[in-house]
Amino acid sequence: MDTKRLVPLVALFLLLIVLVVLFFTGGKEKRLAPDTSVAVSESGEGVIEERPTKTIVLYFLSDNDYRLHPEEREIFTDIPEVDQVKQTLEELLNGSLNDGLSPLPEETRLREIFFTPSGVVYVDFSRELYLNHMSGSAAEIATVFAIVNPLVRNFESIQRVFILVEGTERETLNGHIDLTRPLLPRFDLIVGGLLKNFPELP
Amino acid sequence: MRIKIIKAAVLILALVFVSRLSVFPQDQKTIVIDPGHGGLEVGAKGKFGNLEKNITLPISLKLKSIIERKLAYRVVLTRDRDVDVSLERRSAIANNNKAFVFISIHANGYPGRNAHGSETYFLNLNATDEEARRLAYVENNSTELSQVAGEHQDDIMMILWDMAQAAYLKQSSQLAELIQHELNTLLRTRNRGVKQAPFKILTGVACPAVLVEVAFISNPDEERKLLTENFQNDVAEAIYAGLAKYLERNLDR
Repeated sequence: MDTKRLVPLVALFLLLIVLVVLFFTGGKEKRLAPDTSVAVSESGEGVIEERPTKTIVLYFLSDNDYRLHPEEREIFTDIPEVDQVKQTLEELLNGSLNDGLSPLPEETRLREIFFTPSGVVYVDFSRELYLNHMSGSAAEIATVFAIVNPLVRNFESIQRVFILVEGTERETLNGHIDLTRPLLPRFDLIVGGLLKNFPELP
Repeated sequence: MRIKIIKAAVLILALVFVSRLSVFPQDQKTIVIDPGHGGLEVGAKGKFGNLEKNITLPISLKLKSIIERKLAYRVVLTRDRDVDVSLERRSAIANNNKAFVFISIHANGYPGRNAHGSETYFLNLNATDEEARRLAYVENNSTELSQVAGEHQDDIMMILWDMAQAAYLKQSSQLAELIQHELNTLLRTRNRGVKQAPFKILTGVACPAVLVEVAFISNPDEERKLLTENFQNDVAEAIYAGLAKYLERNLDR
């Protein structure tokens, strides 16, 4: 092989290396949801900088009543809202820190979140949401509104929540609460909340 | 003399028969009872392995026989054995039979150990006040709603049927109250009161409709009770008593 043909090959090889290096090191965008709550400041002086967070409220269940019991959590706010909603639901799936009972069945995973401009957020769970669900009206009401209430309570842009399972609409979890429509929250189910058994009927 | 008595008896029997045939059936109203779950859809499970679907059926059958024994109403069940029946089919059975009242029978489940007692639900539209008002107006003023049937429904009628219960919330709440009151009185279960929730089974039912959670199958004590003939009979009697009071108050409808 003569050198005339080798030069462009070497040049191409060097260009490829440069591109690979740029690919892994370049980019101005922040990484989504870094896994620590502190970050090194951009000045690089090793000063530890707190990430911005906000307090949100989740709801768990109790042995002693049929109400939703609030628990506070901190979530990061320097990430897109869709990721904040994910954090919120992940915290709900992780369970209570105060011996509260989990309103969501074991092994349930959050699959995806979709925002719509109309204020409806679609939250897609794995099939364990109904397969591992104990069924019963009271349990289904608790599960559904433990998902809907915190999203509307903690995110101003969300008015209604549409619950999906494995990416598709499901009529009910196990035969009770209607999941074919986006749901409004039921704050009357929260402990201490006004239990609106008889709202003004039209 | 003997022949005269026989003739008179035959005449009376014939009159009774004719009156039942010609007059009664036209006026006879239908109560639809819906034994919750069934087939592969087992519902809630008890700690001892009992299934909700196997509790709701015998209670519904008992309720049916009490109503038929004491009232001149026709009773239709959405299922009379262990089969799958879709929620849409159940409300269709009510609407196709022009049900006067619809009662869905269930057994409850909850993660909390101490959950117990009976509760009666009616539909919550899960809508804003304004939406609920509009929906109720549309449903109350859609005279066509009762005339359109079968497979010739257009999209609008489908939507109307889909939320048909919006027009009956007041009666449904009255029925729920009366049944819950009887459950509290007759059974030694703690009062959990009348409640509202967006139940899929109730949304499309075009008549007063309630869902009765007779007791918690997830609570071992209540699971045992739910299996006994006595408890099942008491529950059926209580629901019957509430229903009878409702019918008394709504005879002219």
